[in-house]
Amino acid sequence: MLLGGTISTPPASLRDEDLKSRGFLLRRTAEGLNLDQLNSVFVAVGFPRRDTAKIEVALEHTDALLWVEYEKTQRPVAFARATGDGVFNAIIWDVVVDPSFQSCGLGKAVMERLIEDLQAKGICNIALYSEPRVLGFYRPLGFVSDPDGIRGMVFIRKQRNKK
Amino acid sequence: MLLIPTSSSSSSSSSSSSLLPQSFFNSNSYSSNHHSLFLPNLRYPILHGSRKLKNLRLRANFWESIRSGFVKDNNTTQLVEPPSTIEEDTEPLVPVEFTLVERTLQDGLIEEIIFSSGGEIDVYDLQGLCDKVGWPRRPLSKLAAALKNSYMVATLHSVMKSDSDSSEGDNGQKKKLIGMARATSDHAFNATIWDVLVDPEYQGQGLGKALVEKLVRALLQRDIANISLFADSQVVDFYQNLGFEADPEGIKGMFWYPK
Repeated sequence: MLLGGTISTPPASLRDEDLKSRGFLLRRTAEGLNLDQLNSVFVAVGFPRRDTAKIEVALEHTDALLWVEYEKTQRPVAFARATGDGVFNAIIWDVVVDPSFQSCGLGKAVMERLIEDLQAKGICNIALYSEPRVLGFYRPLGFVSDPDGIRGMVFIRKQRNKK
Repeated sequence: MLLIPTSSSSSSSSSSSSLLPQSFFNSNSYSSNHHSLFLPNLRYPILHGSRKLKNLRLRANFWESIRSGFVKDNNTTQLVEPPSTIEEDTEPLVPVEFTLVERTLQDGLIEEIIFSSGGEIDVYDLQGLCDKVGWPRRPLSKLAAALKNSYMVATLHSVMKSDSDSSEGDNGQKKKLIGMARATSDHAFNATIWDVLVDPEYQGQGLGKALVEKLVRALLQRDIANISLFADSQVVDFYQNLGFEADPEGIKGMFWYPK
């Protein structure tokens, strides 16, 4: 017996041609990436505005990156990058989607391809640090938090009181 | 079995972790006539370009720089990374290489433990050390590449010399790799520490703590604001004691399809 009505399933991954047909171009190098515009996307999602000179240095020492250019405006609307040792480990940072372009699969598209690119380099250990409210974004992509009790830790610098 | 070479023991089946976070320098653990701690070795103080940083210390909210996420934000307020607060760094710069410990052993030999962030490491020695702590074998060529691609590689070497040997350098002295820690980085915002290990024969003396502490200091002095790592459950306390916080503000470490 066939049941009527819609069944809600997660959207299928966007293929390269899907992206192209919707006016999104995939980029895998920083060439043509306007860092001021990238900074604006960072700010739009709540990151602090960072020094573009420093962003440039960071991108020069990034193992892999992926961004989506919106053809119509030629602006970046999604971005992610990974750093590491090039053979064993990679950490993914700065995963962002412009708020105006969220919820249509761009974040997932960027992540899937970045992971693919890292795997193609032979990197088996891919990690990231996720804010609590986006754990649900990373889990369906295959990420597991605290596997085997491993904990992500960050060095906290004490604020010094000026006299 | 988890095959991720993390900050400490990577194999959950090995009984000994590479780091035993025991007490600091227990002076009763070896017989010695005298020992000096954390002696900056003035004989060859090769300082990095860190001098050029002029003791900058950033106060940027750390987790802002590591957020992996996005949010629908309709308000127009904007966060600006606070300008770097230049303040007097009361901590001395970490020299590239210096003597951490010097002790006279029972048989008259002098042992020096030397810390170095210069990255000079023999990949065969490293593989031997990884074997000693029970880590699964990794191809030498990949080990070498990982070291080369690391932003900073910190090592501990033990140098033995006889009492009468007053010459400098290691002419004929026994030099042994006994510890290592490395960090990858984008040279601007983030650094992640991997593969922290200390020879089991030298554990329990606070050397692991010194190794990580000096590495962190060296990274901070290079203006890297965010220093992170992934710790096996049994060494979380060890890193906490060094100033690391697990899941800061609820941020979770995640791995892609871990084995």
